[in-house]
Amino acid sequence: MKHEFLASLLLFGLASAANAEPFKCPHVGGDLVFGQEANINTLDQMASATISTRNIAMNIYETLMTRDENNNPILELASAMTEAPDHLTFTFKLRPNIVFHNGKKMTSADVVASFDRYAKVGNQRSILNNVKGWDAPDAETFVIHMKVAQPTFIESLSSFSVPIVIIPAEERDVPAMQLTKPIGTGPFELVESVPGSFVKLKRYDGYQPNTAFEQKTGFGGYKQACLDTVTFRIVTEPGARVAGLKTGELQAVEDLPTKSVPDLKKDPNITILPLLNWWIQIAIPNTSAPPTDNVTFRRAVQAALDMDEIMDAASDGNYKLNVGFQYPNQPDYTDAGKATYNLKDPALAKKLLAESGYHNEPVVLLTDKDYAPMYNSALVMQQELQAVGINAQMKVVDWPTSVQMSQVSDTSWNFFFTGWGTQPALGALATMQFLADPNAVYRPKGDKGDPELIAAWNDMNNLPEAKDRQAAYAKMQQITLEKVFAIPFGSLTKVQGTRANVKGFVPFRIPRMSNVWFSN
Amino acid sequence: MLGVLIRRVLGALPVLAIVSLITFGMIHMIPGDPAAAIAGMSATAEQIANIRTDLGLDQPVLDQLWHWYANLAHGDLGRSLLLGIPVMTATLQRLPVTLALSAYALVLTLVLGLGSGIVAALKRNTWIDQAAMVLAMIGISLPNFYLGLLMIILFAVDLGWLPTGGYVPLWQNPIGWLATSTMPAISLALLLAGLLARITRSTMLEVLRQDYIRTANAKGLPRRQVVLKHALANALIPITTVVGIIISLLISGAVVTETLFSIPGIGQLLTQAVLNRDYPMVQGGLLLTTALLVLINIGIDVCYALLDPRIRYDG
Repeated sequence: MKHEFLASLLLFGLASAANAEPFKCPHVGGDLVFGQEANINTLDQMASATISTRNIAMNIYETLMTRDENNNPILELASAMTEAPDHLTFTFKLRPNIVFHNGKKMTSADVVASFDRYAKVGNQRSILNNVKGWDAPDAETFVIHMKVAQPTFIESLSSFSVPIVIIPAEERDVPAMQLTKPIGTGPFELVESVPGSFVKLKRYDGYQPNTAFEQKTGFGGYKQACLDTVTFRIVTEPGARVAGLKTGELQAVEDLPTKSVPDLKKDPNITILPLLNWWIQIAIPNTSAPPTDNVTFRRAVQAALDMDEIMDAASDGNYKLNVGFQYPNQPDYTDAGKATYNLKDPALAKKLLAESGYHNEPVVLLTDKDYAPMYNSALVMQQELQAVGINAQMKVVDWPTSVQMSQVSDTSWNFFFTGWGTQPALGALATMQFLADPNAVYRPKGDKGDPELIAAWNDMNNLPEAKDRQAAYAKMQQITLEKVFAIPFGSLTKVQGTRANVKGFVPFRIPRMSNVWFSN
Repeated sequence: MLGVLIRRVLGALPVLAIVSLITFGMIHMIPGDPAAAIAGMSATAEQIANIRTDLGLDQPVLDQLWHWYANLAHGDLGRSLLLGIPVMTATLQRLPVTLALSAYALVLTLVLGLGSGIVAALKRNTWIDQAAMVLAMIGISLPNFYLGLLMIILFAVDLGWLPTGGYVPLWQNPIGWLATSTMPAISLALLLAGLLARITRSTMLEVLRQDYIRTANAKGLPRRQVVLKHALANALIPITTVVGIIISLLISGAVVTETLFSIPGIGQLLTQAVLNRDYPMVQGGLLLTTALLVLINIGIDVCYALLDPRIRYDG
């Protein structure tokens, strides 16, 4: 299986090298100011799962493996990877002549140190749970030894949720969140970071692009820094981002308010770039607390919902209806369980309510105002539930409180409102972990998950063939929707915008600043 | 006077101790998981738990309190959970930004507030008085967030005179600082200028009715001298009290303006810290801000003595 992956990867690389010229900056120079919606807490990428950190840090750092534009694993700082026939050893050959921003040549000792630090402080260090250890037989080779074969290991290793970025060996022992001056191998290096204000990067002249590709793809590929500098300015107020884009002070921004888009579209100096499938808007039931511990009641709720109405309010009209936990353009997508989705059938809801023995007990929708889509979707759901006779009540707290409450089943809530962004983009395996131990959000009774669901999850992780793992995912999605362990409403679109003279900016999970240039 | 100052500073220490204890108690009583805030949306339970462990948030609260006071005794305010840098460093990075903006806003407040208040008092019951008080009322009533947005649309988007936001440090580029700070300073100042104008007017009116003013006028002193030397000088004591409050409000109340205009000040820092349950940052930042406000109040007391030689604190 992995040999096939490697062969196709190499073929792709060779074909690319043989058939096409690599990307060359049409114009070099300029300072691009990007209006970022959220403050950044840290640039310590190993310790942070936040999108705002990744937005900036992934222009600085690189990894052994990452994902391409279609979410397939690709090599980045490695030129080759081989998997032993017993699936217990992965050997990476490092690309030669990679130099860190501090001028030091990258060797396998740096990769070892990076994995050492990640195992200690990496925010998603469980991806190394099945790893026995790693070593560096020579300066260009890095080897991972597994305790047990894990068919999904490469998928986990290439995850960009909290990537294992490669740092200089001297930084091995820096505590979590304290790597404040990042030194990576990426096309941009840090100039200055002023928390709450801006982060400035500049082109790294010693950058070595990956010649196995001819264009950037996803987080990897052939990357070039065409801009002299990039300034990520923190602009949390949406109106200020719109104003900055209009005046040209900001050359690119994220998360434009939907209401401003029609006006911005009329401006010839502005290009609107919708980023589809930014996150799945979702409500998770508390299956330990009555009445949502009753599957018939949960089905009644499911039957009552009109997803168009909910998503319209959640997204200001910028959404797509979507069955399940992957998007139609993703390889893992399945519509298994679609018969349960967007039923908007009050009569069925009332019938199921009667069958469930519901007697007007309060049903608490736990939401927050930090993320408007969560609050708005809860508000509409409350109205729809009340319309079929459910005593739906809102409990509005802030985001840290709602997460804390959601992790305890007896805190008087029945539905927890959240959004799944990064994990669905990473694939089915990353997404469905939200429904499996130790991350199950639906609060199974006694923390013991549904046996059918757990069996499907284990198959997703352990079956050796990809098609069987995909079938297991379809089964898990179907079980989740039929037993209503989650209610996905649909997917939100995030609208980005650039000045018209900004070229090569392609919306992705982060604002990628490589292969972006100003037209003359 | 020096002895008084020392006594005042020493007297402030229990205040700071009490404030620190209250802050610690309140921030820990608020529900909400700092690890969840740091992890952001889409984080798994495992990721949140890892943050909790890495940052020592799983320690008992009393242990955290003990460690905090023990470190405080050594001048260490701890390390921000969110930023990963020492609280002292973060505060000292942000405080000058807010102080510079507040100073600019204070100058505008004093010019507009004192000027319009004095003129309104001198032109009592004329259209000038009424216009000044209507403007003062508008200043008090208009939310500074809304005013800021209106100014961005007018001065940045439509006229292109000023930038929409961002911040340039004063000591790096004074012209750039002036450009980025003018709209925030105006939006901060208008509210407080309105307040100051109304108080200045009423205080001046009261002073202008006093016998010594009548005497000064009867002696044939020039109008300017009567107003500035005799009336204003005597009206300054209550006005100084209000200015002290205004300085406190400028420092503590700049958060909305800082957020709107993307200014990395102390208000924005502390608000983010509270929202994200960054315990050390809230505790340390508030302690330092409280210390600053205590010093400002001591300074105001000193000003009283300088303005009115009859006032003495040492008996």
